[in-house]
Amino acid sequence: MGSITPEVTQEIQWIRLAQEGDTEAFGPLVRKHERRVFSLVYHLVRRRDEVEDIAQEIFIKAFRAIRSYNFQSSFSTWLCRIATNHCYDYLRHERASRVSFYWQMGEDRQRDLEDNVQSLPEDGLDHEEQVVLRDLVGKLLDRAPENDRQILTLKELQDFSVEEIAEILKLKPTTVKVRLHRARKRMLEDLRQWREGR
Amino acid sequence: MRCKDFQERLDELWEGVQAPEIQRHLAECKECGRYVREMQIVRSGFSVLKRESAPEPSLGFPERLVRRLGELSEAPSVADFFESVGRRFVYATLVFTFLMLMALVLPSTGPVRGLAATDVLMPTQETAQVQVDPLGESSQQDIPDAMSGDAPAPPATKGMK
Repeated sequence: MGSITPEVTQEIQWIRLAQEGDTEAFGPLVRKHERRVFSLVYHLVRRRDEVEDIAQEIFIKAFRAIRSYNFQSSFSTWLCRIATNHCYDYLRHERASRVSFYWQMGEDRQRDLEDNVQSLPEDGLDHEEQVVLRDLVGKLLDRAPENDRQILTLKELQDFSVEEIAEILKLKPTTVKVRLHRARKRMLEDLRQWREGR
Repeated sequence: MRCKDFQERLDELWEGVQAPEIQRHLAECKECGRYVREMQIVRSGFSVLKRESAPEPSLGFPERLVRRLGELSEAPSVADFFESVGRRFVYATLVFTFLMLMALVLPSTGPVRGLAATDVLMPTQETAQVQVDPLGESSQQDIPDAMSGDAPAPPATKGMK
């Protein structure tokens, strides 16, 4: 754990009370970490209308398992682990399939988009292009195997470092690097196959 | 550089690192150029997606959650029931196993010893021996052993002469 600030001391106190079954003490913990969990759930599941329900299930699960929290990692990391595993199970049951705008574009328009992506920063892309890109990667994530989706979301959308991902997924950093490499590669292969097969 | 080696260095390309050999290969290989363009599309898509804000927790989300947790803890679930029953079963099994082990480990004599099967069988066997040997020869033979070497000779020897 990091340095002991009054904030951390307070959090430890809440955790200890929650470990004794105090539901009221769990409230401040929820308040502190809810945004992180909502963001993680949203990027993993990509269903805006279901984020709150899933987040609630995650917090309930966390409360029930809080006695097993042993202060070895930060509470945030521990909570992210529960959230990631919960979303992983959710994704295994709910395979989403959505219409993608990218596939409705003509080849010329796709080429224009590729040129713009190369020459302009993401901020420089017009709104339609941003929608198209967002939709494309969303679609690729939907199609990706759960493991790939998990690791790509943590790295590319949640900005966790390789070491943090290793801690969340209980893996070695080298394993995370290998999985990340394979996930990126598979996603590009999927994009290639999709383009060629359409 | 072969295309396969080039594509194995995907992570460097993804992070925006372009070593001179990569640039050289890119300049002469159309196929890998296409690969890099696709990678840039995906990477840009991730950047756009990352900026997309997640939905905010609705007002009073933590309070509702705490209330729900309170309700859940008041009404024990089926899982809780099985957990407590299961735990009791495990404790009972452990106690039973402990008692069995104690029964095996404890010495067969001593103050903590209970009645063993041999205790019940031995008197019966002894009674049977007494009945089979009504003249008491065996008990007379035992006497010299018990009274060291200066005991008289057994009467059976005299009778033979």
